[in-house]
Amino acid sequence: MGEVRQKKMQEKGKRSNNRKDSKVFQKKNKGSDKRRHNRGGPRLAPSLQREVNQMKGDDNEVSDFDEGDTFAGDVYEYEEAVPEEESRKNRRYDTVDNYDYKLPDDFKDEDVFSDDEEDIDERDGKRNLIEDSDDADPKNDDDGSHARMLQSITGMPREAFEGKKKNNVVISEAYQESEYNPSRDVLDGNGRISIDDLLDPLQGKPGYSMLKKRTHQTEKKSMALQAPLPKADLQRVERKVAYEQSKKEVSKWEPIVKKNREAPTLYLGEEVDLGYSTVGAIASEFEPRTEIEKKIASLVHDGKIMEAHRKDGSKLLELNKVSFEDEKDRQNRIAKMRSLLFRHETKAKHIKKIKSKTYHRLLKKDRVKGASAHIEMDPDAAKELAMKQEFKRAEERMTLKHKNSSQWAKRILSRGLDAQDEGTRAAIAEQLHQHATLTRKMNTLKDSSSGSSSDESSDEEYSDDQTEDNNHSKASKLLERAKDKTLKALEDGDEAPNSGLLALPFMVRGMKKREEAAAEEAKLAIQEFELLSKQLNNSETENIKTETTSGRRTFGGMKKSAPEPRKKTKPEYYGDTDDEDDTETREGVEDAGDDKNSSLIVDENIGSDILGADSKRHHSSVFKSFDETVRDPGPKTTYEVAIFASDTWKKAKNIEKKVDSASTATASKPALQGPVPKETVQDVDDQSDSDHELMVEGVFSSANNKAYELPSQAELIHQAFAGDNVEEEFERQKEEILNEENPEPEKPVLLPGWGQWTNVQKKKGLPSWMLEEHDRANKKRQEVLKNRKDANLKHVIISEKLDKKAEKLYTKTLPFPYTAKEVFEQSIRMPIGPDFNPTSTIGALNRPEVVKKSGVIIKPIEFKEVDTQRKVEEHKQSGQKQKRKRSKTNNGKSVKKMKAGA
Amino acid sequence: MEEELGKPVAERILPPTEQEVLNEEDVKIKKYLRGEGANLEVLKDKKLKGQLSVIEDLYGKSAKAAAKVEKWLMPSEGGYLEAEGLEKTWRIRQETISHEVDILSRRNQHDIILPALGPYSLDYTLNGRYMAIAGRKGHLALVDMKDLNLIKEFQVKETVRDVVFLHNELFFAAAQKKYPYIYNRDGTELHCLKEHGSVLRLQFLKNHFLLASINKFGQLHYQDVTTGSMAGVFRTGLGRTDVMQVNPFNGVIATGHSGGSVVMWKPTSSSPLVKMLCHQGPVSALAFHPNGHLMATSGCERKIKLWDLRKFEVLQTLPGHAKTLDFSQKGLLACGTGSYVQILGDLAGSQNYTRYMSHSMVKGYQIGKILFRPYEDVLGIGHSMGWSSILVPGSGEPNFDTWVANPFETSKQRREKEVRSLLDKLPPETIALNPSKIGTVMAVKKKEKKTKKEREAEEESAIDAAKNITMKKKTKGRNKPTKREKKKREIIDKSKKPFLQEQIKEEEELSRKRPRSSEEVELPKSLQRFARKKTAT
Repeated sequence: MGEVRQKKMQEKGKRSNNRKDSKVFQKKNKGSDKRRHNRGGPRLAPSLQREVNQMKGDDNEVSDFDEGDTFAGDVYEYEEAVPEEESRKNRRYDTVDNYDYKLPDDFKDEDVFSDDEEDIDERDGKRNLIEDSDDADPKNDDDGSHARMLQSITGMPREAFEGKKKNNVVISEAYQESEYNPSRDVLDGNGRISIDDLLDPLQGKPGYSMLKKRTHQTEKKSMALQAPLPKADLQRVERKVAYEQSKKEVSKWEPIVKKNREAPTLYLGEEVDLGYSTVGAIASEFEPRTEIEKKIASLVHDGKIMEAHRKDGSKLLELNKVSFEDEKDRQNRIAKMRSLLFRHETKAKHIKKIKSKTYHRLLKKDRVKGASAHIEMDPDAAKELAMKQEFKRAEERMTLKHKNSSQWAKRILSRGLDAQDEGTRAAIAEQLHQHATLTRKMNTLKDSSSGSSSDESSDEEYSDDQTEDNNHSKASKLLERAKDKTLKALEDGDEAPNSGLLALPFMVRGMKKREEAAAEEAKLAIQEFELLSKQLNNSETENIKTETTSGRRTFGGMKKSAPEPRKKTKPEYYGDTDDEDDTETREGVEDAGDDKNSSLIVDENIGSDILGADSKRHHSSVFKSFDETVRDPGPKTTYEVAIFASDTWKKAKNIEKKVDSASTATASKPALQGPVPKETVQDVDDQSDSDHELMVEGVFSSANNKAYELPSQAELIHQAFAGDNVEEEFERQKEEILNEENPEPEKPVLLPGWGQWTNVQKKKGLPSWMLEEHDRANKKRQEVLKNRKDANLKHVIISEKLDKKAEKLYTKTLPFPYTAKEVFEQSIRMPIGPDFNPTSTIGALNRPEVVKKSGVIIKPIEFKEVDTQRKVEEHKQSGQKQKRKRSKTNNGKSVKKMKAGA
Repeated sequence: MEEELGKPVAERILPPTEQEVLNEEDVKIKKYLRGEGANLEVLKDKKLKGQLSVIEDLYGKSAKAAAKVEKWLMPSEGGYLEAEGLEKTWRIRQETISHEVDILSRRNQHDIILPALGPYSLDYTLNGRYMAIAGRKGHLALVDMKDLNLIKEFQVKETVRDVVFLHNELFFAAAQKKYPYIYNRDGTELHCLKEHGSVLRLQFLKNHFLLASINKFGQLHYQDVTTGSMAGVFRTGLGRTDVMQVNPFNGVIATGHSGGSVVMWKPTSSSPLVKMLCHQGPVSALAFHPNGHLMATSGCERKIKLWDLRKFEVLQTLPGHAKTLDFSQKGLLACGTGSYVQILGDLAGSQNYTRYMSHSMVKGYQIGKILFRPYEDVLGIGHSMGWSSILVPGSGEPNFDTWVANPFETSKQRREKEVRSLLDKLPPETIALNPSKIGTVMAVKKKEKKTKKEREAEEESAIDAAKNITMKKKTKGRNKPTKREKKKREIIDKSKKPFLQEQIKEEEELSRKRPRSSEEVELPKSLQRFARKKTAT
């Protein structure tokens, strides 16, 4: 292209040379301005130059050509080659003729001027712009120097001032015509290459007409361009447009950003797809790539094979069909077997490890026993075994082999068993035991009657009794039994020990007395029993009656029944353990005691109101509390007894049993020979007596109190006079504390000697400022006191001291976004911990501002064009549902995604 | 929001029963909202407004959920005695109650007679499962109240004045003759707290893990039982007393004194928080309502007073004397004196306590301490002849929160709870009259202006310090005496500078203030000529 163009230019240049005699050279290149400027040194004045040019244009041309030939393209050579004299730049002064100023013919108004300069506009709009701003003086002789002056002043390129007369400016062509140095006619109107010129060679070729048309159109349409605005304005306009543009660009993000800002929690990196979650998903994505894979795939997915498989498979499946239950059964069985096996294995391992011989012996024994058990399972074997045992029994009974009949045993027995050592004795015992076992009659399946059965049955009876509650007949039975026992006791009571301590005469006497008393009691008791049994028939209703109508102290009495047994058992532990042993050995005696005691209980329980006086005789610590209550005159005791007699039958067995056991232990005391226990009993009784007396007098409590705390005299006095001037003292205290917390201002005083020289000074007294200050301080204090919380509470002092340690628990200043204290305090009023909120809300209450997964890249924000209106509605509907809104939930149509960077 | 809109509609449509249910729920929601939200309309900051509205929304939801949870998970309601016709609740006796109640509750009516070892004081664990009893003559015992099983019983062979459980049944402290001791469940002595001296009364602050005691000399001790450090030792200065009670709401300890005053303490300050004159005579007993707003005191001048602790005013004065007082979880007040127990109740909910029940023991028994068993309708009475327990319908909280106290706690749960409560342990400085104020803004009081004297002293000391600075030994030429002197003077001047600046600032302020005051005094022009000219000079 470049070459073509050069060629054209050269052609044009030749043509123009032929046509024109003068050549005005001008450069329109941007770089030319500069060069011109550089060359702006000594030179011929333009007017002169013009003349010269007119006179010998050919010369110039020739010289030009020469220059061009000789120094083509070499700038510096050219400068040197043309000496200053020759270039005729010596004359610096313009001729006078040129001074007469004449408005040029083609001078026009500035507005119109631009029209004329159209071609120049086309070539270089920018220069034109500058030209417009400047008023040019066309056809001025000295406009060259003027322009230079202007140039030097404004610092603008020279062309800016040259304007119109450019056409006339004749500049010798300095360079050879080329595409870089276009000749004058190329740049000027005539010789210029128009689009038509360029289009000419294309004539006749396809599309030429269209091109032509278009060029015409553009030419027609071409209209005058507005003069460009000044740079500052232009830039402002540009900025404005840019701002609008960027505003538009940015503001589309606004709703998203706003939404994010308003959201209580941001979820970042939530949408990251972490890949497949299942094997199935991975498999479904599989694509055969290698050849073998493809082959396999083709085989697998072959239609025929598939079909065949489907058909076949179904058949196979039918054959394979197993019911669900069967399968489950099988599984269960297998599981069980496995677990059993496992257990067995572990057990075996464990056993194998045990090295103890005794253990293995025992194991063997067990095995044998197991075998016997097996025998039991099998009736035949059992029969056989029974036979065998029977045989053995018979043999044993015949031979008496184990009845110490052996020589060894005889010898040992003759020597005396006591003389033997432990082992032999054990051996003997073992033998005897063996004999016993061998001779024991085997329980055949048929026989059931035996001595023990009756016991069992009686036991059963008893238990039956126990289980049955609220049973009338049972109560009567109990009574019956009690009666029987008392009778028995009466009969058996005569038995007396004839040796030991109890055989002593005074003991015997005492015993007799007691027995007599007991007998009497027993009689009475029997009477009572009878009475009661009569009563029992209609007791139930009465009971209720008595309960409801009873006095007010009843509760305590009734309650007592429960704790009693506990107490009764106590003496057993403490003193009477040996006694108990005794009782075991001497059953007969115990029996008597037992009976007697039971009678005692009954007596106390039932007949105490009748027996009031007699009850003193029962010296048993166990019943101490009872004694008290019994002797305590008043309605309370009677009621209590009534309750015990009637109501408590319901719980009777239980209690009675306990009582029995207790009584056997305790009652044996008096019956037995021990004087020591008796003494203790006496002691206790004494105590209780004294207690009782105290209680009767009603001083019991104080006496009891005295035992543990005796307030000192001073304390008593202090207490007595405590309330004397309490209020005054309190007021004084309050004053003190107030003074301490808000100290009174110091009284104004002068330094002694100062300001008291003269009488006048003395009369004046303190200076006024001092007094004022004091007054002010006082007022301040009063105000502070008035503002105290306890200002209006006479009886209260509330400390206003600041606790420095607690200071850190308070907020010192209002936190930033808050402006009002109330708002802040109300916003923190709710505890947000898990202890104070249900689990359903606790998460939302203290969710962090940003939730993100660690290790997940957080992508830049994405643009989503969502209906703003709809979003607003959504927002309204659910206060914070928007939190968990994922992009996927939005329907795809309305969403247009865009990256933040794009 | 939708619901709020929907509500009026619902109100119109719903039948009365459902309406009632709704109203009930509203009440509960209000309770769980813990006061009203801030007025957001006033706020100018839009961002804050948005944030707060979101938070308020969450609060509302939480409250609603909590109300529902309460409705469904805490269904049992406390019972109470109701009189028919001419009947009076305080005439109903224990045996009548015992006929009506189930067997398990009947077991809670019992008298244990232990006459030998003197008057008994008792304490229950927080869940009410276990009871510790202490006989004055050295009998200490631990009883499982569920099956009335004696866990441990031992004799310390010296006076025991008080017993108190620590955070669970594994540990309890007993105030003995000379020192308080801490025992474990098996009766092993773990600690002897010698610093406390001979203690008359013990209290345990469960949230702060502090053991508080008051000894013979009227000294109040706080000891942290987790670290063993003493949290505070204060002289009450009001003499010997054995009336001490902790306010369960805020952990403030109140002591009653012979001068009729009740003094409230916290472990971080030696001066009492509040001192109030409650009675003319000595204060004999003191108890706090579980909500912390109500205090009952009884004085030796035969008056029982109920105080509102928010206003520090008497709500009610009742005649009578009480040696011991206790509030139940539901707010019944038991007063014990002599061998008679009276239970007062605020049945109408109007802060007006009236007779509810009464119970008299066997004549001659001296009641030493009464204590309501938590989560049961039972009142334990420790008296001179052992201990008793009676049924008081409507005294205990019917619904227990297993996170707070579980009467059926397994050992594992107990261990977990111990850890949790240790983690939640509060520092002693959180004890304050109104703990709900913690976290709120409390402007630090401005430092008072230093007096002239103080300022001068400070300046002097600063100058002295500057003078006493030892100079470094510099190299030759720079160590000249003139230079050293110059440097020294510079240092001194520098130390003086801040004081001078301060002074200048003050003077400026003063000068700024003065003209204003003169302006204030200025009279209208017409009257000025009548004013006395005193500042003419």
